[in-house]
Amino acid sequence: MSRYNPFYFIGQAFKSLWRNSVMTIASILILASCLVVLGSFALLVADLNLNLGELGLMNEIAIYLDPELDDAQVEEIGKTLESMSNVDTITFISKEEGLEEMRQDYAEYSDLFVIAEGEANPLPDMFYITYADVTKATTLEYQLSEIEGISKVILRLDLAMQIESFKSGMTLVFTWFLALLFVVSIFVIINTIKIAVHSRRNEINVMRYIGATRTFIVTPFILEGALIGLFSGTIAYLVEWYLYTYIEQIVVSEIRMIEVYLFSEVWQYVLAGFLLIGTLTGAIGSSISLRRNLNA
Amino acid sequence: MIELQNVKKVYPNKTAALNGVTLRIDDGEFVFVVGHSGAGKTTLMRLLLREEKPTSGKLIINDFDLTKMPNYKVAHYRRQLGVVFQDFRLFPNKTVYENVAFAMHVVGTPASKIRKRVPAILNTVGLGDKLNRYPNELSGGEQQRVALARALANNPKIIIADEPTGNIDPEMSIEIMNLLLKINRLGKTVIVVTHEKSLVDYYQQRVVTIEHGKVTEDKVGGMFE
Ligand SMILES: Nc1ncnc2c1ncn2[C@@H]1O[C@H](COP(=O)(O)OP(=O)(O)OP(=O)(O)O)[C@@H](O)[C@H]1O
Ligand SMILES: [Mg+2]
Repeated sequence: MSRYNPFYFIGQAFKSLWRNSVMTIASILILASCLVVLGSFALLVADLNLNLGELGLMNEIAIYLDPELDDAQVEEIGKTLESMSNVDTITFISKEEGLEEMRQDYAEYSDLFVIAEGEANPLPDMFYITYADVTKATTLEYQLSEIEGISKVILRLDLAMQIESFKSGMTLVFTWFLALLFVVSIFVIINTIKIAVHSRRNEINVMRYIGATRTFIVTPFILEGALIGLFSGTIAYLVEWYLYTYIEQIVVSEIRMIEVYLFSEVWQYVLAGFLLIGTLTGAIGSSISLRRNLNA
Repeated sequence: MIELQNVKKVYPNKTAALNGVTLRIDDGEFVFVVGHSGAGKTTLMRLLLREEKPTSGKLIINDFDLTKMPNYKVAHYRRQLGVVFQDFRLFPNKTVYENVAFAMHVVGTPASKIRKRVPAILNTVGLGDKLNRYPNELSGGEQQRVALARALANNPKIIIADEPTGNIDPEMSIEIMNLLLKINRLGKTVIVVTHEKSLVDYYQQRVVTIEHGKVTEDKVGGMFE
């Protein structure tokens, strides 16, 4: 291989791109569009994580105990809670503490609470626990409700759960979308290279008789695919740059509540990602096409 | 040396193109291969080129056992051979010079050597003054001479020509045959498949006749019918 002039292969690849200019442009546009969608999605997810990261802390469950329980039984339940997996912290609030809290919350009416003191206290003893894994919170809720002596379990899942499921939903959509785009791009490149091979099949045949190795025949086509990917990556980067900066400006100047990554902070990742994914997609698509269309 | 022992070739469509060919061609020989259409001549050439594998039998060329050769060695094996086709198969968008140079480029010859050798070869085939022509600016005979130059470019030991004069008028055919003979005198083994009885009779060389996939005659002299 080293004896071959690399410029020959690059030259051949460019010639072929030029000769099939319609297919070349079509595949570059499609691959670039895929990359832009992919990149926008990735940036969106990154921004979301930036904003939603801290909200996961509200993982709390309130446990109401049966008022009939004596202190030993309450202690017993506390131990059970400690032994459960996914239980992170445990806080006990006795009914007296509960009443006191309430009295402070409603200080203007504190006199009224006199009637609820001692035996008349209507509040139950309570545990507040936090959990580690939000996806298993409902399981935990069920397990808690099955424990003897617990009268009521309130899971404040709402927001935490919504955020979490939104995130995982996004990730799922993103993954599928990515897979789909990848398949489409590969397919387009397979066809482009197929046409390129087809238009040179006589030439390739003669090259074989002359004693050309498979590497010699195949390299220009692989390069052709990689170049398509490289161009697509470059174009996608420029488009992404424009799009993202546009949105970034709106967010920064008008919706100050939301935090976003600035393009100037992430451009290296975007560029490197686009060029790498583009080139790899091109080269892989081309290899698949050659395996199918060049029975060497 | 080319050696075939009981070589059979059955195509996937069950056509038995060769039914047990045993043949030996020594280094430096000149051999005509003749026979009726469909006799199996081209099939024999395709086996030599390792374009097809024999169904059974033994096929050894120089130090290469073609029945056992893995695919990745084929390219290097083919550099032992120079091929000429009836329809020339030149690269239409390359000049005469580039066509020959490309054959050398393909096998990794340094550019300086290519620059020296290509004009010399083209002189040998009498095209020293047409280096910059494109194939469609040449006569059939001239195109075939370019093809011959290309076949010679990498200095192969064996030249295989399947009906090299099939698309050329008779006077030009003689020129091509003379060239092939000249190449043979330079020490190369030359195998020429042909239909042209007059040429075969004229040159009085070894003639291998193939009929129905078998060698039916192998003599020095004319074409026996
Ligand atoms: N690729 C193929 N697949 C199936 N059968 C084939 C193939 N090539 C040739 N044949 C058959 O094998 C037989 C021998 O063909 P071959 O081309 O070797 O004949 P030939 O002697 O070169 O004939 P011609 O003088 O017409 O060129 C014929 O019956 C032909 O139809
Ligand atoms: Mg034939």
